[in-house]
Amino acid sequence: MRAARALAGGFPDISEMTVARQAHWRRWLAAAAILVVLAAIGRAFVNGQIEWTYVSRFVTAKVILEGITNTMVMAVLAMALGIVLGVVAAIMRLSPNPVLKSVAAGYTWLFRGTPLILQLLLWFNLALVFPTIGIPGLWSARAVDVMTPFLSALLGLGINQGAYTSEVMRAGMLSVDVGQYEAAQAIGMGRLRALRRIILPQAMRVVIPPLGNEFIGMVKATSLASVIQYPEVLHNAENIYYANSRVIELLIVAGSWYLLVVSILTPLQMLLERRFARGTLQITR
Amino acid sequence: MTQPLVAIRSVSKNFGEFQALNRVLLDVWAGEVLCLIGASGSGKTTLLRCINQLTSIDSGGIWLDGELLGVREEGGRLHRLTERQIARQRLKTGMVFQRFNLFPHKTALENITEGPVQVQGRKQGDARAEAMELLGRVGLAAKADAYPSQLSGGQQQRVAIARALAMKPMLMLFDEPTSALDPELVGEVLTVMKELARSGMTMMVVTHELGFAREVADTVVYMDHGAIVESGPAAEVLGRPREVRTQSFLSAVI
Amino acid sequence: MTRLSFTVGFAALLAITTAKAAELPESIKQAGTLRLTVNSTYAPMEYRDPTTNQLVGLDIDLANEIAKRLGVKIIWSETPFAELIPSLQTKRADFIISGISDRSARRETADFIDYLATGPQFFVLTENEAKSAIDLCGKKVGTTRSTSFPIEIEKWSKQNCEANGKRAVQYAPGENSIDVRNQLKQGRIDAAVQGSETLPYAQGQEAGKYRIVSEPFSTGYQAIMFRKDDAALREVVTEHLAAMITDGSYKAILDKYGLGANAVAHPMMNAAPQ
Repeated sequence: MRAARALAGGFPDISEMTVARQAHWRRWLAAAAILVVLAAIGRAFVNGQIEWTYVSRFVTAKVILEGITNTMVMAVLAMALGIVLGVVAAIMRLSPNPVLKSVAAGYTWLFRGTPLILQLLLWFNLALVFPTIGIPGLWSARAVDVMTPFLSALLGLGINQGAYTSEVMRAGMLSVDVGQYEAAQAIGMGRLRALRRIILPQAMRVVIPPLGNEFIGMVKATSLASVIQYPEVLHNAENIYYANSRVIELLIVAGSWYLLVVSILTPLQMLLERRFARGTLQITR
Repeated sequence: MTQPLVAIRSVSKNFGEFQALNRVLLDVWAGEVLCLIGASGSGKTTLLRCINQLTSIDSGGIWLDGELLGVREEGGRLHRLTERQIARQRLKTGMVFQRFNLFPHKTALENITEGPVQVQGRKQGDARAEAMELLGRVGLAAKADAYPSQLSGGQQQRVAIARALAMKPMLMLFDEPTSALDPELVGEVLTVMKELARSGMTMMVVTHELGFAREVADTVVYMDHGAIVESGPAAEVLGRPREVRTQSFLSAVI
Repeated sequence: MTRLSFTVGFAALLAITTAKAAELPESIKQAGTLRLTVNSTYAPMEYRDPTTNQLVGLDIDLANEIAKRLGVKIIWSETPFAELIPSLQTKRADFIISGISDRSARRETADFIDYLATGPQFFVLTENEAKSAIDLCGKKVGTTRSTSFPIEIEKWSKQNCEANGKRAVQYAPGENSIDVRNQLKQGRIDAAVQGSETLPYAQGQEAGKYRIVSEPFSTGYQAIMFRKDDAALREVVTEHLAAMITDGSYKAILDKYGLGANAVAHPMMNAAPQ
């Protein structure tokens, strides 16, 4: 074995030297340029042909507040329906039963493959195909009475959402280690119970970010329900400008509400992500 | 004469073109500790997984406690059991996995009570009390409320053993229980397994830990290419192997 | 009331036009083109012919004739109904001739030259029991929500239903006249309201399906809409329109679309009572 060598010369000890602060002058320049552009755009809006008095007058109008309430109610309910359907469809898709698998695949194909506005219009005009609906012998009603704008919007948005959510859920379930499923089976759990107790809770962590994103999209997708007369905020804003011709002003009113809602939802989604990451190693920032 | 706890008769299993098990014959008796050794791909893990039906067999039969697993005989033909019936059959075995597979979103205690409460319908209070006892038995009573991510590998594996024991199985299956552990943590797991063996549990252990096998196993089975090459008392198979293949495997690993 | 506004309107117009013969604004004369935008979902005023997909209609014909007499070409564009007025305000269009009604609420920033008598009219499916408008009290009546008809229906209902102790008409909104007729066919609404100028076309398309109930329940005018500061253009167009009425070409165009009965005797300014 060799004797240890003395350290080589020519490499000074710089451990006592401090690091100088960087100038970052390019960043400051870029920031200034962006501010200038934003200020110019802002000025154009202020001095443009937009009557801001109408915006401030209507932003808290009763029909607008009712509209945004209806928007949120529909977004929450339709998303809930979409998640339930998505979970069911994902479970069916991962089932060993070929019938269940095909039904789920067909559902996803049909409702992801057609425009949402078409789906909404079909639900609302269901009476063209089924004039009466009901359970034979028990109850029947006219389709036009059952398919109110609310129900048509709920079914249209929820069932469409389910087709997208099923793919997200399927990816989430597949992301859970197969060993988890085997461990659940080893203690005697059947497939469904294992999914419910072990797989899905773990899949939630992977699934929350895309679902949060989908929910934000849903809030705005509800605006499509305006064409089937559901009184959400865009519909109500339109009614106002149909009467007073202030199109851009009222659209700014509706747009501001959408922006506010999304701004509140984004940090809420982060809180939700944190809750579902319980029990796992956190990646520190 | 009493029946063996596990009777494996002419069991074969293929994965595509690869023959994992080739007409395997084996008996395991109650209270026996049996170690399965062999190179990877020899079929030892596959055999273990066929006993609790995580892997299905292509032909042959496995009887556990006198009951044919996975199929029933009727009219000279075999009919597959339903998923629910198979799940019920799994209750008789407990499995400990190489990578522990603890449920990360549940505490150690919750991992152990999950099976008894959800599957066997036991009451929460009773299940918790028994779980605490099991945790004490594996030396982890203090870690009842810890999450798996807060436990070391050895601790996780001990919780996994407690989880399997909570279902009160008649047979414990161990699939390379210490292979994924850092060397200094292997000992604590082997200690628990030795205690379990002493208490009379029937155990089938796939392992590379020949020291454990020599010390604790009643029987050692050496497998190669999906077939049992040699089986017998531990001292004999490990000390004075009859077969050439056994000899060359042992000399390679020691 | 209508007679008075009619007279006032005509007098106003007379006063302006007899001042001097109007001239085309320079910018249009230079360009040699008129830029016009229409909401082409409103047969027979402006729509796309289902077989040829060409832009056709009463307004198209009238505008083409006026442009011919002005010696300019028209560049047509299409837009949703709600965009018509903004198009005028932003000068994307030189004037609007697109089945738009003359209404006082709209006169803040625009002036209207009325050229066609019109009014909302009830209609039902042929098999419906309603015989006259009064039978529609308490029933569900639908119309396009972006028009002035919802307000008209409410007014009519107050005067004719509630005033006589009957239940009010229940208004059901629709996106456009096709949506409204769809709802009528499905039974979601009992009756519908459209401008009287559109009904002959609708009946022609689906022969025997619809039945008009009573006369139009309010009279108004379709008008050509000009920016308030665009007096010169307004005057020259009015001049030629008046000439077309006098020489019979106006009536010929109206008759082509079965709307001879909706003709006005002379163009009027801001004469609608609404």
